[in-house]
Amino acid sequence: MAVKTFAAIDVGSYELAMKIFEVSRVRGMNEIDHIRHSIDMGTETYGTGKLSYERVDELCRVLREFSAIMKSYQVKDYKAYGTSAIRESQNRSILLDQIEQRTGIVIDVLNNSEQRFLDYKSIAFQGEGFQKIIENGTAILDIGGGSIQISLFDNDTLVSTQNMKLGVLRLQERLNHVDASISHYDTLIEEIMESQMNVYKKLYLKDREIKNIIVVDDYISALVNKKGDGGAIKRFAGKDTVEHFVEICRTKSLSELARTLDMPEDRMSLLYISMIMLHTIMNSMGAELIWAPGVTLCDGIAYEYAEKNHIITSSHDFEKDIIACAQNISKRYRGSRKRSETLEKIALTIFDSMKRVHGLGKRERLLLQISTILHDCGKYISLANLGECSYNIIMATEIIGLSHLEREIVANVVKYNHLDFDYYETGGDLSFLDEETYLKVAKLTALLRIANGLDRSHKQKFKNVKISLKEEKLIITVDTDKDITLEKGLFGARADFFKEVYNISPVIRQKRMQ
Amino acid sequence: MSQLKYDDPSDYSNRELSWILFNKRVLSEAKDKNNPLFERLKFLSITSSNLDEFFMVRVASLKDMVNAGYTKTDIAGMTPAEQLVALNKVTHELVEEQYGVYKSLVSKLLSNGLRIIEKHEKLTEKEAAYVDKYYEENVYPVLTPMAVDSSRPFPLIRNKTLNIGALVKKKNGEGDLEFATVQVPGVLSRIVEIPSDNKKKTVILLEEIIERNIQKLFLNYDIVCAYPFRIMRNADLSIEEDEAEDLLKEIEKQLKRRQWGQAIRLEVEEGIDERLLNIIEEELHIAQEDIYRIDGPLDLTFLMKMYGLNGFDHLKESAYAKPQPIPAFLPECDIFEVIKDSDRLLFHPYETFSPVVEFVRQAARDKDVLAIKQTLYRVSGNSPIIAALAQAAENGKQVSVLVELKARFDEENNIVWAKMLEKAGCHVIYGLVGLKTHSKITLVVRREEDGIRRYVHLGTGNYNDATAKLYTDIGLLTCAPSIGEDATAVFNMLSGYSEPLGWNKLSIAPLWLKDRFLFLIGREKENALAGRRGHIIAKVNSLCDRDVIEALYEAGAAGVKIELIIRGICCLKTGLPGIGNNITVRSIVGNFLEHSRIFYFENDGKPEYYCASADWMPRNLERRVEIMFPVDKPKLQKKLRAILDMQLKDTVKAHILKADGTYEKVDKRGKGFYNSQLEFCHMAQEAARKHEHFVNSRVFIPETHHE
Repeated sequence: MAVKTFAAIDVGSYELAMKIFEVSRVRGMNEIDHIRHSIDMGTETYGTGKLSYERVDELCRVLREFSAIMKSYQVKDYKAYGTSAIRESQNRSILLDQIEQRTGIVIDVLNNSEQRFLDYKSIAFQGEGFQKIIENGTAILDIGGGSIQISLFDNDTLVSTQNMKLGVLRLQERLNHVDASISHYDTLIEEIMESQMNVYKKLYLKDREIKNIIVVDDYISALVNKKGDGGAIKRFAGKDTVEHFVEICRTKSLSELARTLDMPEDRMSLLYISMIMLHTIMNSMGAELIWAPGVTLCDGIAYEYAEKNHIITSSHDFEKDIIACAQNISKRYRGSRKRSETLEKIALTIFDSMKRVHGLGKRERLLLQISTILHDCGKYISLANLGECSYNIIMATEIIGLSHLEREIVANVVKYNHLDFDYYETGGDLSFLDEETYLKVAKLTALLRIANGLDRSHKQKFKNVKISLKEEKLIITVDTDKDITLEKGLFGARADFFKEVYNISPVIRQKRMQ
Repeated sequence: MSQLKYDDPSDYSNRELSWILFNKRVLSEAKDKNNPLFERLKFLSITSSNLDEFFMVRVASLKDMVNAGYTKTDIAGMTPAEQLVALNKVTHELVEEQYGVYKSLVSKLLSNGLRIIEKHEKLTEKEAAYVDKYYEENVYPVLTPMAVDSSRPFPLIRNKTLNIGALVKKKNGEGDLEFATVQVPGVLSRIVEIPSDNKKKTVILLEEIIERNIQKLFLNYDIVCAYPFRIMRNADLSIEEDEAEDLLKEIEKQLKRRQWGQAIRLEVEEGIDERLLNIIEEELHIAQEDIYRIDGPLDLTFLMKMYGLNGFDHLKESAYAKPQPIPAFLPECDIFEVIKDSDRLLFHPYETFSPVVEFVRQAARDKDVLAIKQTLYRVSGNSPIIAALAQAAENGKQVSVLVELKARFDEENNIVWAKMLEKAGCHVIYGLVGLKTHSKITLVVRREEDGIRRYVHLGTGNYNDATAKLYTDIGLLTCAPSIGEDATAVFNMLSGYSEPLGWNKLSIAPLWLKDRFLFLIGREKENALAGRRGHIIAKVNSLCDRDVIEALYEAGAAGVKIELIIRGICCLKTGLPGIGNNITVRSIVGNFLEHSRIFYFENDGKPEYYCASADWMPRNLERRVEIMFPVDKPKLQKKLRAILDMQLKDTVKAHILKADGTYEKVDKRGKGFYNSQLEFCHMAQEAARKHEHFVNSRVFIPETHHE
């Protein structure tokens, strides 16, 4: 019997949630329980930097209860993720250790892009509905407590993602300071939103036509997904429906609103803010349809688990998204597409022929590929400080699908392609990495340097290379009748680092075309 | 089409007065010569215990409101004070009627071989000797006589106890008359059998024996006179919750300032010495109108014990069959297979309650069961369900039980069970703050080959195997995933977690149920207004929620046919202008206590059927956790419709609410005798017999494709 029971726990900033899933190859994912407990951790963490003792007690008590519920379902595996309230807590390590000691539950902390990627995954796993909707211009609007994330699709590939500090809790707090009455919220929110959206539109949206918005949140989704008579769920809402809801929000008091929409009153204020936000964004993009699949982070956690364990696979190619994203960034900073392609080809060829030596996997190959795409983005700012600038650009730009650590690897590989390598032991810039990551950086840097060296003149002379590994030599056979004196000459310095890392000497051989 | 508004208080009946009418309907069963003699005793006893509870809860609550200076009017526009005045009149009448019935029953008992010696003076010499001996040996040792004089204050007279008050005078003839009292001990049987030579049975009431021997308690005194008396106190502070919450708080505040347990009713024997009465009256601060002079024994609940006397089976009801086995649930069947095969609707007490007990029992033993969750409101003593739950916990299942401690008059009982369950390892939730959990739901989570499957039992009655033999209730056993999902969410909510994002099938009070009812009633109205057929049949125990009644009025005015089957309180009036005969109300008071809540909505030809744990009362819809569940399998819907139709056809036990607010039995002319409860028995017997025939038959019956 191949039915596994899995628990996904989301330690969110205003809610603790656990979903129990049955996962099987035959029937896919099947949610069997969804337990939620309201607990406002965000306000404390954002305000004081720490959770109060009482809050930690409450957190532990509920987690212990979760643990008992898991036991009752005979849950085999679980994954617990903490988001911004945990992430931004100053004594995070102590807190997490304490929770583990008291409840037995290990919480991993997600950073923003990881969290958004899980959300994105849970959308993508909706299957056909998702593939169909992204055939037309589509944006994902992921509304959180602290920030919102807007991701854009080009054809059916996700090409850009931007984070804006416009989360519903944050906006609410800001509006509290303004001391505006609730009836003025709409104009204020619209104002705040519009200024940011105008910039966003100019820089990222450009002339893309966005027809659909996929909404990931707790409020609008709850409304759109309200079960109708007999449990039927709509999930889609047209522009007129959204406008109708906005109108209701505008004209009714919060308690009337709660009654009309049959939702708890304490959620109404945030629903109201979310609704106006969505409406402003819809208008600004000219979108006509929203799709609120009603997914939560718990769903994303479960999909990640199921995918990792090869229980289910998605028809969507996430790597393609990552590459497209990188290419988009490169384009924005006027990177040379042609040169990138050459570099990518050479680097990946070397990578593939050296599998036995470097022992790196598919994921690292992707990181190398991203590094080649982004290898020269920094020159947009400074030709002299290419390394540092590239590093900063990459670290400041979110690439959905890459974890923070992976982004760190890419940025460093690009950086040390240009700068002298900082050894772990000398306490340089890389010493904050763990050893495994450090070694990955070193290995990938060595590979990129070689590839870069082979295309020194940027004239793509090395379009067709053949690589073979013979004892302690990496034979690079170049099929060109162009002059490669420059490459050969400068190659030595680049080859040294390679030799140092792999104890293999790269050798160039020119095979002249007949 | 009339556009009348129905918001005038005169369109509604007062709920207390309506309740009195209900108790009168029960009394009419005691009067009914068609009922066996001993059943009539039982009905009379029920009217008496009903009235006691009514005083302790409703009258006490009204008195509190008056004392707190609360003058807000009720649904019918009456202030608490006005209600008390009106009630006083009708309760006195009711009591008089009770004793009229009692008298006639006593003489009937005599002619049927049971002699009740009403006055000890009537004992024969031989009987008197027996009685005195009985007194010496059994009664005297447990009596605590109390005299009152300047050094001894007036003793505490306990709520609901029977006492004998006496006026005594010192033997030496000095001093004034003094007051003395002795409680008739509750530990002894109130009915004492006196051996007799002939076949007739002779009994005397305990208080008569004590009265006869009272001199022996006060040896230094002469007894001037002695009479039984009984008081009812406003002893419980849990005021009926039907009024607004702020009111409750206000009353509680007032209560603290007042002395504990004000006496609200005094029952004395008719002909009591006025001097004795004056003392009691004064000491208890009881008002004249709250004194009930009774021509007969006080506290008729002893008649229930009388019912239990041996040797009178021929005078008891035998027409109603005992709960019948249900063909689908063969002995030793796998209950989960039976439910998986198809949803099952149980109709108690005509069909046995044992599948429900068996459901929990098998779940406790089944190796694949992971968890059992249940709400318990009132359980029987020695409940097999409790035992099974404890067993399940010991077998390592996760068992969560919500035990409602606030179930009135059952508080102590429930605490005992709850503690026992906790000891066995169950997770016990002792009710919810501010809400009573009245829903009846059981969830069994079972791990099966293709994943988790949830089995759910939903009912209109308590998980009480004893009352399931006496109350009519509906239960549904299902493993439909949509209901299983909702059931899980219900228990998550009861455990203190947030509400689910939505419900598939169930409607839950206090958050959603009322709106749902108003929606369903409103939909019929819309249909009727659009010229389509609108039809509602609802069977509940009480109807006193203003919003629901108003919605029904409006639907009725729009042309919806509304047939209500309401056993007890009904604040809705029939025959209002603009509605006429569109709304009819009937009450069935029969051998079994009508308890099920069933709802039928025509829904423009796509009928919907529901059952619920809730009545149409504010307390059910606003201050309790209740569940309404749909019954959507056509076969089961047919069964529910049959039940409703049969009750609507009843000509024997049904009373019709007339426009003047009174109830009258159905006019049988041209309709013949149709006793729905009896017919239900036959139906269940028939089903069981058919099946038995099938099991015992030697002819093979090929199974053919169905559905």
